[in-house]
Amino acid sequence: MSAEVEEMLKRFQNVKNIIGIVIADYDGIPIKTTLENVQSVHLACHMHLLTEKARQVILDLDATNEFVSMRMRTSYFEMILMPSDNYFIVVLQNPGD
Amino acid sequence: MNRVLEDVINKNAANTERITAENTLGYVVSDNTSGNVAATSFDNTSAQGIVKHMNILLAGLVQSAVRDLDPSNSLCYLRVLTRKFEYLVAPEELFTITVIQ
Repeated sequence: MSAEVEEMLKRFQNVKNIIGIVIADYDGIPIKTTLENVQSVHLACHMHLLTEKARQVILDLDATNEFVSMRMRTSYFEMILMPSDNYFIVVLQNPGD
Repeated sequence: MNRVLEDVINKNAANTERITAENTLGYVVSDNTSGNVAATSFDNTSAQGIVKHMNILLAGLVQSAVRDLDPSNSLCYLRVLTRKFEYLVAPEELFTITVIQ
């Protein structure tokens, strides 16, 4: 399984607009990353907090609904956050437009 | 502040028509400073709930996370995807627009 993950990471890394990918575990500690260590730990920590809050917000607004993913577009890049059961993935990309 | 907002809303009425005619569920425009709902296509209580949770809480949190990672950066817009629909949140200086589709 780990070989598939590596292969997918390599494939996505070569896509033109992608700046970096961070895969972090349940506690927000990065397990696989294509960015520098300090940066990815920082990023993963913030994204972890955000997933928790976003989950709460969606649940508060509608108890039957569920938070799936979030795209944050900033001036310089775009972050896509996608949580899953045991981990979450953050992708940073250049929006291109 | 509210008069400025009302002017903006009146000027953009055509845009609003177009947006609501597409595949959207509705929209909420809220005032940044007071958190009041300026215009909405929902009923007032749910609109206020949306503003309170989504606009103020979540968008504020994302903005501070973005600034924390890079102080010169700032949030342009936010798209939150849920099972049933998607929230598009666009914070500006004076107001925040949220569209649900």
